[in-house]
Amino acid sequence: MKRKEQKTFIAAFLLPPLLLYALFVLWPAVNAFRYSLTRWDGLGSATWVGLYNFRNILARSSEFMPALEHNVFLMVVPGIITLSLALFFAYVIHQRIRGARLFRIAFFFPNIISSVAVALLWVLIYSASDVGLLNNLLRLINPKHEMIAFAESSRLLWALVPMIVWSGTGFYMVLFLAAMENIPDSFYEAARLDGAGSFALFRKVTLPLMWDVLTTGIIFLVIGGLKIFDVIWVMENGRPTTTTHTMATLMYSKVFEEYNIGYGTAIAVLLFILVLLATMVSFRLLRRERLEY
Amino acid sequence: MRTGWLALALALAIPLLGGCTLERKDPRKGITLEVAVFEGGYGIGWHQDVARRYEKRHPNIRVNLWGDPRVDEKLKPRILRRNPPDLASCNLPVWKLIVAGKLYPLDEALDSPAYGQKATWRETLVPGVLASYQYQGKSYAMPTNLGAWVCWYDKRQFRQYGWKVPRTWGEFTRLCDQIKADGVAPIAFQGKYPSYAWSTLLSLYQRLVPFEKWYEMQDLKPGAFLEPEFIRAAQLLQEMGQKYLQPGAMAMTHTESQLEWVNGRAALIFCGLWLKNEMKNAIPDGFEMACFPVPMIEGGRGDPNAIYGGGGENMLVMADSKHPEEALDFLKYMMSLECSRTYIQRLDTLSPVQNAVKGLLISPELQSAVDVINKSTRMYSDRLSVLYLEFAKSPMPDGLAALLNGKVTPEEFAQGLEAAIEAVRQNPDIYKPPAMGVPPA
Repeated sequence: MKRKEQKTFIAAFLLPPLLLYALFVLWPAVNAFRYSLTRWDGLGSATWVGLYNFRNILARSSEFMPALEHNVFLMVVPGIITLSLALFFAYVIHQRIRGARLFRIAFFFPNIISSVAVALLWVLIYSASDVGLLNNLLRLINPKHEMIAFAESSRLLWALVPMIVWSGTGFYMVLFLAAMENIPDSFYEAARLDGAGSFALFRKVTLPLMWDVLTTGIIFLVIGGLKIFDVIWVMENGRPTTTTHTMATLMYSKVFEEYNIGYGTAIAVLLFILVLLATMVSFRLLRRERLEY
Repeated sequence: MRTGWLALALALAIPLLGGCTLERKDPRKGITLEVAVFEGGYGIGWHQDVARRYEKRHPNIRVNLWGDPRVDEKLKPRILRRNPPDLASCNLPVWKLIVAGKLYPLDEALDSPAYGQKATWRETLVPGVLASYQYQGKSYAMPTNLGAWVCWYDKRQFRQYGWKVPRTWGEFTRLCDQIKADGVAPIAFQGKYPSYAWSTLLSLYQRLVPFEKWYEMQDLKPGAFLEPEFIRAAQLLQEMGQKYLQPGAMAMTHTESQLEWVNGRAALIFCGLWLKNEMKNAIPDGFEMACFPVPMIEGGRGDPNAIYGGGGENMLVMADSKHPEEALDFLKYMMSLECSRTYIQRLDTLSPVQNAVKGLLISPELQSAVDVINKSTRMYSDRLSVLYLEFAKSPMPDGLAALLNGKVTPEEFAQGLEAAIEAVRQNPDIYKPPAMGVPPA
């Protein structure tokens, strides 16, 4: 095939998906920027208001700042626990302990369940009615136990921590384990000859040699924390409150519940900017000299 | 040759033109009304029956009636494209549609004779049911359902424990203490949706103040939420939340809490008349559902017999409807005495058409609600939650959750609401209708 023909051939295959992508992803995304500068209820006509929505969002009394704080909480608290546990489990499994394969499957298992199903499962675990697993366990221990509203709005963020950790650890564990298994044994042997113990091996050999993967994991957690929506939406039955709203749920509520489309899309634009900035900052802070082996 | 082609084209086109003309003039061709219905707990079976009966009466009109639980999402783009169905019931924000000029006024039809009655259509309706959606002197939404906010209980359970239906708030709290002492949770609550407590709170406030003052809050009078009586109502609600709600209620959805109630683990629940329909598959045999109004508060200055409630399940005629007059006529038929009676019997609920329930054999639970409504002096309802979504979707439910949880004092709760409504007052983007005062009973 001649070079020109080859290019035409490739273009013919690329064009339809690119067109679809432009039509259904790029065009709405560009439009979101436009809508964020308007006052529009989605029913009448839109009015151009410049940066009015952004000023409102960033005003002191706005619901946006608490929502952003919730995102940061859900990024940091479960994030640190997830990363630590994933690293620990990956390292232990990497030591080829007995039943490593079983543990690997067991830890990864929650990851194959969709996040909505995970949330529904935890709704049942936390339920304050008779089906609530946790309350029933507590009742077994203490027959006089009064039902606790674990998933009540004011407690929900903390209640989400074990759920996010449970559902996320397996994925990061597999990611880290793959990175650890790529490290040649000779490095460990050399370190052992130099007198390194288990902790020193982990700190001086494993961690530096899997730094790129760890950085990727952290960035996944940062993006996931900033975008979190579905689990809150499900656990709050579609009615998050100011104590549980994240940026994404707030955006959805503003657009689809309050019909404040300009304001909602302005939140979406800020969310986009924040995810972009957070990713760039994470890359920069975590950047180290690449170790080739 | 060219002339031949031209002749052929004309020969083909002329009958088409003729067809267009004929179609417009032929009365047998008729018109098709499109009616979109929110397919919720009441389904669309009754609506379809009405449509078929209407078609029989009007052979030139075909009613294409469809339902969908997510009707809003289908309607929105069509409203924007100015190609909506002729008539719709949905959960879209009615006030936003009114102000955006998307709805057709009902008044001309309201003042025409009702189907099968001598009175005008307006006169056949329960007074006040059109008040919620009146804009610049015109009515824009027709409720097909009549609701009331009451406290439900199981007569059999009350007999079993020897509990008595309370008439005053003092009796109510004493009853709750007794229920608690008997080992049952006094009140089930739909805590995941704290707005359920809004109707109870407004009912308590009504028991404390005359209607002139109650409606001042509805008319956005500055400081209305800071009135001592409102703070007192909030105090009573908080006491109820702290002392009598079922443990864990604040994390329960409406179905969870209602299940707790039908299973007898909680004795009372505040809810609307839709409760039975919502729980019909879970109600155990022998359960005797009955209701009483929000009790009068000792020393209160409000009407002890008024009841919080009004129209619901609104039907809207779209401004861009292709056949607005026919849509209005179909709606008028839907709200005729004849159709309203089938509505009550089939769906076990109430209609805003006066006397529609008279002489009908209805379920004991519906009869209990009818008794409460019949004893009432008037109905009243809140419009803050339908007019100001910015207030109703966040500050109000958040404040109620904090109040019921004891995280804020009644004073702080009232200040929070006052601040939220002040933000509404100051926001030029939000439409505020002129003060309406006390509507006629």
